[in-house]
Amino acid sequence: MHFTLNVWRQRGLDEAGTFVSYPADDISPAMSFLEMLDVVNQRLILKGEEPIAFESDCREGICGACSLVINGIPHGPDRGVATCQLYMRRFTDETIITIEPWRAKAFPVIRDLIVDRRALDRIMQAGGYISSNTGGAVDGNTFLIGKDRAETAMDAASCIGCGACVAACRNASAMLFVAAKVSHLAHLPQGEPERARRANAMMKAMDREGFGSCGNQYECEAVCPKSISVHFIAAFNREFLRSTIAEPGPLTDAPADPHAEFH
Amino acid sequence: MTRFFTIFCTSLGNKVLVALTGLVLAGFVVFHMLGNLQVFEGQEALNTYAAFLRELPILLWSARIGLLLTAALHIGLTIQLVIRNRRARPVAYASRVYRQASISSRSMALTGSLVLLFIVFHLLHLTAGVVDPSFVDRLDPRGHRDVYSRMIHTFQIPWFALFYLLAQGVLAVHLSHGVSSSLQTLGLEHPILNRVFRAAGPFVAGTVALGNSAIVLAIALGVLR
Amino acid sequence: MVRLDSKVPSGPLETKWDRHRFTEKLVSPNNKQAIKIIVVGTGLAGASAASTLGQLGYHVDCFCFQDSPRRAHSIAAQGGINAAKNYQDDGDSVARLFYDTIKGGDFRSREANVYRLAQVSTQIIDQCVALGVPFAREYGGQLANRSFGGVQVSRTFYCRGQTGQQLLLGAYSALCWQIERGQVVMHPRTEMLDLIVVDGHARGIVVRDLISGRLGVHVAQAVVLATGGYSNIFYLSTNATGCNVTATYRAWKQGAAFANPCFTQIHPTAIPPSEEHQAKLTLMSESLRNDGRIWVPKRAGDTRQPEQIPEPERDYFLERRYPRFGNLVPRDVASRAVKAVCDEGCGVGPGGHGVYLDFAEVIEREGLGLVRERYGNLFEMYQRITGEDAYKIPMRIYPAPHYTMGGLWVDYNLMSTIPGLFVVGEANFADHGANRLGASSLMQGLADGYFILPYTIGHYLATTKNVPITLDHPDARAAVERVAVRSTKLLQGNGTRTAASFHRALGHIMWNACGMARHRAGLHHALQTIPPLRHDFWRQVAVPGSGDMFNQQLEYAGRVADFLDFAELLCHDALHREESCGVHFREEHQTPDGEPIRNDERFAYVAAWEYQPKGTPILHKEPLTFEFVQPAMRNYQ
Ligand SMILES: Cc1cc2nc3c(=O)[nH]c(=O)nc-3n(C[C@H](O)[C@H](O)[C@H](O)COP(=O)(O)OP(=O)(O)OC[C@H]3O[C@@H](n4cnc5c(N)ncnc54)[C@H](O)[C@@H]3O)c2cc1C
Ligand code: HEM
Ligand code: HEM
Ligand code: SF4
Ligand code: F3S
Ligand code: FES
Repeated sequence: MHFTLNVWRQRGLDEAGTFVSYPADDISPAMSFLEMLDVVNQRLILKGEEPIAFESDCREGICGACSLVINGIPHGPDRGVATCQLYMRRFTDETIITIEPWRAKAFPVIRDLIVDRRALDRIMQAGGYISSNTGGAVDGNTFLIGKDRAETAMDAASCIGCGACVAACRNASAMLFVAAKVSHLAHLPQGEPERARRANAMMKAMDREGFGSCGNQYECEAVCPKSISVHFIAAFNREFLRSTIAEPGPLTDAPADPHAEFH
Repeated sequence: MTRFFTIFCTSLGNKVLVALTGLVLAGFVVFHMLGNLQVFEGQEALNTYAAFLRELPILLWSARIGLLLTAALHIGLTIQLVIRNRRARPVAYASRVYRQASISSRSMALTGSLVLLFIVFHLLHLTAGVVDPSFVDRLDPRGHRDVYSRMIHTFQIPWFALFYLLAQGVLAVHLSHGVSSSLQTLGLEHPILNRVFRAAGPFVAGTVALGNSAIVLAIALGVLR
Repeated sequence: MVRLDSKVPSGPLETKWDRHRFTEKLVSPNNKQAIKIIVVGTGLAGASAASTLGQLGYHVDCFCFQDSPRRAHSIAAQGGINAAKNYQDDGDSVARLFYDTIKGGDFRSREANVYRLAQVSTQIIDQCVALGVPFAREYGGQLANRSFGGVQVSRTFYCRGQTGQQLLLGAYSALCWQIERGQVVMHPRTEMLDLIVVDGHARGIVVRDLISGRLGVHVAQAVVLATGGYSNIFYLSTNATGCNVTATYRAWKQGAAFANPCFTQIHPTAIPPSEEHQAKLTLMSESLRNDGRIWVPKRAGDTRQPEQIPEPERDYFLERRYPRFGNLVPRDVASRAVKAVCDEGCGVGPGGHGVYLDFAEVIEREGLGLVRERYGNLFEMYQRITGEDAYKIPMRIYPAPHYTMGGLWVDYNLMSTIPGLFVVGEANFADHGANRLGASSLMQGLADGYFILPYTIGHYLATTKNVPITLDHPDARAAVERVAVRSTKLLQGNGTRTAASFHRALGHIMWNACGMARHRAGLHHALQTIPPLRHDFWRQVAVPGSGDMFNQQLEYAGRVADFLDFAELLCHDALHREESCGVHFREEHQTPDGEPIRNDERFAYVAAWEYQPKGTPILHKEPLTFEFVQPAMRNYQ
């Protein structure tokens, strides 16, 4: 197969980028999209040119490293897969393929098709965890978690942190990511104690990182490699309202030193 | 600062307020349409209804002010959100294909603004009578303000009729995403009811548009005169 | 001069660990605040270690080359994690998990370590649940188990097909918490390129900031390596494309002994390579072997479509050779059998690299619906990759390099032969001996990181007086120099051949000489062909761009260079081990019907290799004594 690639090249952070077109000749339909790029890069290297920088690691759709917008769709035309799970047999021969990086203020381009997604990590650091020390955990069966509930938590937990939802969202909102992370823990008894704080802190963090707001446009769901449902966004909105209205804070502010009155 | 205030200082919090105000406005539009439909009951019915609305100035004005504030909040917050969202993607995509985001969901700012323009015009026109002073304070036989004749007169003019019809279209687009969206924003999600929530928007939008258009058409086509 | 002292506590097996923990010295809380520890790697082992150390009050600098700790290769683990919980009451116990692991490892691992692993395995599950890992549950709400990797009990805990991701997200979230608390400083996109040893103690690392290309130095009181395995030395493997040997290999060059490098596991059920530009092999879950029947055409070079081959002309070779276990024999046994039939020319698919994994019968027996429910997502994955519908025609599978039992030698305290250098997870030579059982690597990574290292490292810190050193300490500067020289050298190749092509060539050599079956001549041949390849590499390799910028080719070329060096060590080890044990199958040592012959008299030891600047590495032996189990012949017939 033969394609013409229309690829975004950008040398570094806050440098101007442009589209450059490259031929991708004799490509086999059995190649994955990234292997096709590998081949193109091998040829560039031998010509002494700098290869197209793109990200990948596991190449089986679980690490969330790969991140290409292909012909205007994050992770390409197939649903429920990551870029690395896309195969060339899926494309019509002799066509032009446009390849862009995730585009969002919170995801600055590092080089070519690679963006800095640490914003997602910082959202997690704001509260995407259960504060539980190593050791002294109670037996795993002390929490009884019904199958359905466990499955729901698992659905949310399957997010691979790729950021395609942000890339797809017209508002560059990370809502689906945040919703998935919050819902995962909110559906488990272990997550209960920090529920309110978590939803609140992670929401604030998302704003801080400069993501847009969610307008319930549902494009994120369409590109999510794990097909995470936007119902989790509704669930998260509820979680957020709960944290603001039902649990706005401690009922009374305890005195800094509980024994103050004794001395 | 307790968590409660994050409603006002996070994008999601603002969205919730937009949703609430949006629903109130939507409520008004529906109610207003029902009122307007009385035009089919004939001159007397509509005018008595309009008069009834005005019999209690306190209620009327508090309603008007409430409405005004709601709209102001709605508009103010949405403008803020829209600015934020524009900033969130400084560099646009060269090519972009949407597979699930509806057009109405992507054109809320535009349709909203158009609705705003319409409202302004509409108020100047039918309420204040600036646009077309004729009939503004003419009274009907029973001494009521003759809203009925004013409507008839208005929509007998093709340009007005057309303009109103277009306005209904725009409003419908705004509402069809708006109402369902606000349910999602308020966290309504339920395995059984989800379909209802998704359908609510188009349904409300359709009803309002149809109801209002019926009036305009009935008059324009001379069914009512 | 390397001294191997395993430091295994004396006394009864059951209480070794408890007594050891009691005798270990502790670091007082306020001293901890003054201590900095470097953790390289954020996989299950690294993330769990870093978060736990941070929570104990140490200051931790944590590194990974990915853009986020959550992307470490552990994320890819599918099947599950073992623990001797015996929730199913099917006769499991710490002792049994211990025995299965020792036996699975073909009696080439340390009893004390393996027993400790089995002991803490139960805590791991509790810890992970506490962190919110959504393990599969029964309707009643209890944790669910499956039987995995050819053992008779159901002791494997799982989260759909993504156990690795869920466990790692658990450890990662714990890490996030410590980062938020300021106890851990995370350095993503930062690659360790050398180890800094100051008067015999590991005191820091040299790193390259992958974005700016700048070289940097980090010093600490101790260094922990959790940098995973080196299966990518075979070029094609099930590992993530970034997995490498760099960190452990550089540590080796600084004096850490490398143990059993030739113990590299080949997983039987991967999707066969389809064309030469393929970048990696995708694993199909082992669970498929529970229902699928493996066969090849009886006649070599039979090119008919599978459905056209009548029953009598099919060879269900696993069921034929291993009537008792049939298609469920352990990984190494299955892989070798597959290779055997393919070598006879009976292989199917491109290049005859493949055998059929046939579900026709179970679909017949239990219905399509049930099979779809059980394996639906795997069949989908298979179809996406190969474009074939496995419900209609049999799957094709072929063995693929998957895991490396070999690694840096560590004592009972997980400390290498360099004081202050600790090694956890797949990176150490671990507890799996000559072969790893399914679902036991996640267990080992988390055991090391959550429950073992945090204790043992404390003892080292409490008992050693390390003088504070500065970033421009002569030894640090020397290390930076080594790295700088090397990367400039990488940029000076004349650009006629890509690093990938060298990697592919090396992989080819290693797969043939040191893959599923090894023999003297082949290994000798490999040892002769690798040096010229390495020589060409340094002369010809094409690395565009410069060193002081984001340069993926430079990173990659560096890793390939280390593989090229390391390959020889692997061959030396395979050559010296004149026996067949576990994954290490020497064709000279097999029974007439192709079963391996282990030699406990001569080879019941850990082979720990010491680096020599010139000449071949020196072999040191840690004898393996079995006080509590009797080495038995591993027989699955
Ligand atoms: C496809 C697949 C499926 C598997 N399934 C299972 C299973 O079901 N059950 C099971 O028990 N095991 C399974 N395994 C094995 C298991 O996943 C791994 O052995 C285990 O995750 C290794 O974890 P680790 O923490 O030791 O290393 P890794 O998870 O590989 O982490 C390595 C870390 O080190 C970092 N690193 C490496 N080199 C450098 C460097 N030079 N500088 C800086 N950082 C560096 C990387 O960034 C990464 O963070 C599977 C493996 C594969 C490939
Ligand atoms: C009668 C008039 C109006 C009604 C009934 C109405 C109703 C609504 C509703 C229900 C929503 C959904 C809120 C949500 O998604 O949670 C909404 C959103 C919105 N409205 Fe309106 N609105 C009206 C007027 C306006 C006007 C005048 C403007 C503009 C200037 C406007 C701009 C918007 C925008 C931009 C949104 C999208 C906000 C977002 O999704 O982030 N609306 N409106
Ligand atoms: C065909 C459609 C419509 C008709 C015939 C119509 C008719 C009228 C009339 C006659 C009045 C004046 C009532 C009075 O003065 O007593 C009025 C007031 C008003 N209309 Fe409409 N209207 C229509 C659609 C709309 C829509 C779509 C909106 C909003 C989006 C709207 C908003 C208002 C408002 C805010 C007022 C002022 C109410 C008040 O005086 O307090 N109208 N309308
Ligand atoms: S929600 Fe889906 S798209 Fe968004 S980061 Fe997670 S996996 Fe990627
Ligand atoms: S596309 Fe964007 S607007 Fe919300 S629903 Fe998804 S984040
Ligand atoms: S490369 Fe890991 S998800 Fe695509």
